[in-house]
Amino acid sequence: MELLHIKNLEFTYPDEKEKALKGVDLTVEQGEFIVICGQSGCGKTTLLRLLKREIAPAGEQSGTILYDGTKLSNLEDRTAACEIGYVMQNPESQIVMDKVWHELAFGLENMGISTPEIRRRVGEMASFFGIQTWFRNQTADLSGGQKQLLNLASIMVMHPKVLILDEPTSQLDPIGASEFIATLQKLNKELGLTILLVEHRLEDVFPIADKVVVMEQGRVILCDTPENVGQELKCVSQEHQMLMGLPSAVRIYNQLNVDDACPLTVRDGRGFLSRNFKKDRARLNVVKRKAEENGEAIVRLKEAWFRYERDLPDVLRGVDLEVYSGETFCILGGNGTGKTTTLKVISGQARAYRGKVEIQGKNIKEYKGIELYRHNIALLPQNPQSAFVKSTVEEDLNEVCKAMNYNKDEGKKFIADIIEKLGISHLVQKHPYDLSGGEQQKAALAKMLLLKPKILLLDEPTKGIDAYSKQVLRTILTDLKEQGITVIIVTHDVEFAALCADRCAMFFDGEVVSVDEPNTFFASNTFYTTAASRISRHMFENAVTCEDVVALCLENGLKERSNQLGA
Amino acid sequence: MKLFATYHPSVLLVYFIGVIGITMFTMNPLLLLISFLGAFGFAIQLENKQIVFASFAFYIPMFFLISVTNPLFSHNGVTPLFFLNDQPVTLEAMLYGAAIGGMIVSVMYWCRCYNLIMTSDKFIYLFGKVIPKLSLVISMAIRFVPLFIKQIKHISTVQKTMGIYATKSIVDRVLSGFRIFSAMITWSLENAVDTAASMRARGYGLSGRTNFSLFRFTLRDGIMLSVILALLITALIGNNMGVLDYSFYPRMSRIQISPLAIITYITLLTLLFIPFVVEVEENRKWNYYISKI
Repeated sequence: MELLHIKNLEFTYPDEKEKALKGVDLTVEQGEFIVICGQSGCGKTTLLRLLKREIAPAGEQSGTILYDGTKLSNLEDRTAACEIGYVMQNPESQIVMDKVWHELAFGLENMGISTPEIRRRVGEMASFFGIQTWFRNQTADLSGGQKQLLNLASIMVMHPKVLILDEPTSQLDPIGASEFIATLQKLNKELGLTILLVEHRLEDVFPIADKVVVMEQGRVILCDTPENVGQELKCVSQEHQMLMGLPSAVRIYNQLNVDDACPLTVRDGRGFLSRNFKKDRARLNVVKRKAEENGEAIVRLKEAWFRYERDLPDVLRGVDLEVYSGETFCILGGNGTGKTTTLKVISGQARAYRGKVEIQGKNIKEYKGIELYRHNIALLPQNPQSAFVKSTVEEDLNEVCKAMNYNKDEGKKFIADIIEKLGISHLVQKHPYDLSGGEQQKAALAKMLLLKPKILLLDEPTKGIDAYSKQVLRTILTDLKEQGITVIIVTHDVEFAALCADRCAMFFDGEVVSVDEPNTFFASNTFYTTAASRISRHMFENAVTCEDVVALCLENGLKERSNQLGA
Repeated sequence: MKLFATYHPSVLLVYFIGVIGITMFTMNPLLLLISFLGAFGFAIQLENKQIVFASFAFYIPMFFLISVTNPLFSHNGVTPLFFLNDQPVTLEAMLYGAAIGGMIVSVMYWCRCYNLIMTSDKFIYLFGKVIPKLSLVISMAIRFVPLFIKQIKHISTVQKTMGIYATKSIVDRVLSGFRIFSAMITWSLENAVDTAASMRARGYGLSGRTNFSLFRFTLRDGIMLSVILALLITALIGNNMGVLDYSFYPRMSRIQISPLAIITYITLLTLLFIPFVVEVEENRKWNYYISKI
């Protein structure tokens, strides 16, 4: 049965010439799990918002949206509010009330439902989501993952028939994100809930989707099963930007041109490789990337201990770390293992109470005042928004020049250089808060680079940005390396680390447990490693990125046709 | 969780209004003493003993300050102790000051207990019944404050790490504060847009909104409320018959000892010691159960 029927939907924002949506046709069957993907600015969010009448953007709209056979605009108020649930991107700003239980009840209160009924529904939903242990807590004290789960639960209590989610996991760490996706899958499988999900990280959601919709410049260019989309996307364009965002198994498949079914998961990917390829050569010759032998330690932590307050437990327990001049160093590890705290200690935001921190061979305590931040260290915060305080990006950049005492011409030249290098000239007149995640990141990075640092610290730079922006970030990092800037990255994103790091370090329990160059590092990890490595480890020893796997496959060549049939 | 805190918020509100009202509108030294002991006993049950005793460091000087200040300005009374600048300093004025000091200290102890017992959710619940919109606004405000503080800290560390306006000079500090403040305003508005959308998406603004709460009025609450009301009414009747009257000027009156007066005092003693007794009884019960295991 058709639940949503969208016919020839067009939409134009006020004061914009170009249409944000151009003739979108889409039908959503009851109980379907649909994933919508596309680059930032392709009209995904506009489409989703138009489906939720209460928060639909203002503008010129034509075409029809039918919900359950009724025009969306003719729907009764209460039905529209209850039956179509909407979860937004930012976990924090969606929460209205101060207590978890009150947040859960908020929607039901609006519907004018009686106390005993609310009590029942809230209780039921809290148990389903496992909220009972933090049911009476303050909403402000929850973790990001918990907040987003709460947002989902407080919509589920209203018994929606269709759930619309706009990049719900982009602000979460990988563990919180997979938990959230698993919950969605449970809702879809066990309750038959219809789900429309916009996502950047397709690794988890691609295999569980019934249909994948790919949007580009306000149009739906593909709408098919995940397997077919994986194949067809390549036919649309060899260089399509969305190709980079696909799950590793699909990307490997796409680059190999083999006549076989498209694998979606790691398991399928493994089968696909062993069915089709020989494994004569199992090792990739890794060009030793620029590392310890030619550089001297620019940042050195010796037995650094740190805790936030006197009575709290230690966060860093004797961290020993050496980062060499000019390398790109990635710090990986789970939540609460001390990664971000290490950055704070290096950047002087926090002070180790025992042990030594040396920046460029000089003890950090000997840097007086703001000396440490003048041509030495710059830190790009996890939330790039907090780097801006002015009303346009340009004003923010000018302010840095003033603070750094560049003279006028010099400052102008620096700004022009950096703007050009990062490709953000179209953004400088905009308000920083109006930029998308990836754009904000670039603008904030511009601000940091204006400080002309020798050491750049990045905290979760890939959080909430799409695959294409990640690619852009990677080229920027390569460029910085050529300029000899040392980059230290704290990240959860193993794929990104595998691609851009010279060396990776694993943090656990406030300590560094292993440091190595990425191919060795990820090949020796069994769980905490890239999907490409998990797909190929039964055949190849040290392939950790999709490109590595593809290179080895091409070198080894296809198995004979008869063998393939035999397997 | 303290036992007295588990009573229904309306019971607690009636109780606190009652005891704080009685304490504020009486000058009867015996009654003030009872009230102080009741509040103090309750505070000791609620908080760490050391913290309560440490609070003396603040309350005792305040008590003496008030006791000493009154006779400097008020020269009523018939028993002059000595003369200061040709003005008599009288015993009555001094004791009157002490009574006021005692009254203020008792009220402050009661308020301390109130703060610990009547948490924001109880307060919101009670006012939500009367003014639904207000309770929503208060709840949203309570949620927003920690968020706001966190963001301020966040922005200011980031700005500091960039070394912009980060020296210790006053000019830099003021400028930096101003910049962060203006950024915070934008941030709040930005946040509010999302929150408003999330509220509308869940049907806020439709007619007939109800107020949900976790509190339930049970038989236990009913009994406690009737006991409190009965004691309050008895005390009020006694008060209206004049048995609690007491005056300091021109000379201190005697505390009445008639059967009716004794009944009234006992009523007030019971009323003011309810929370203390409830908590002590609860502790005794727990110790008993533990000893049985």
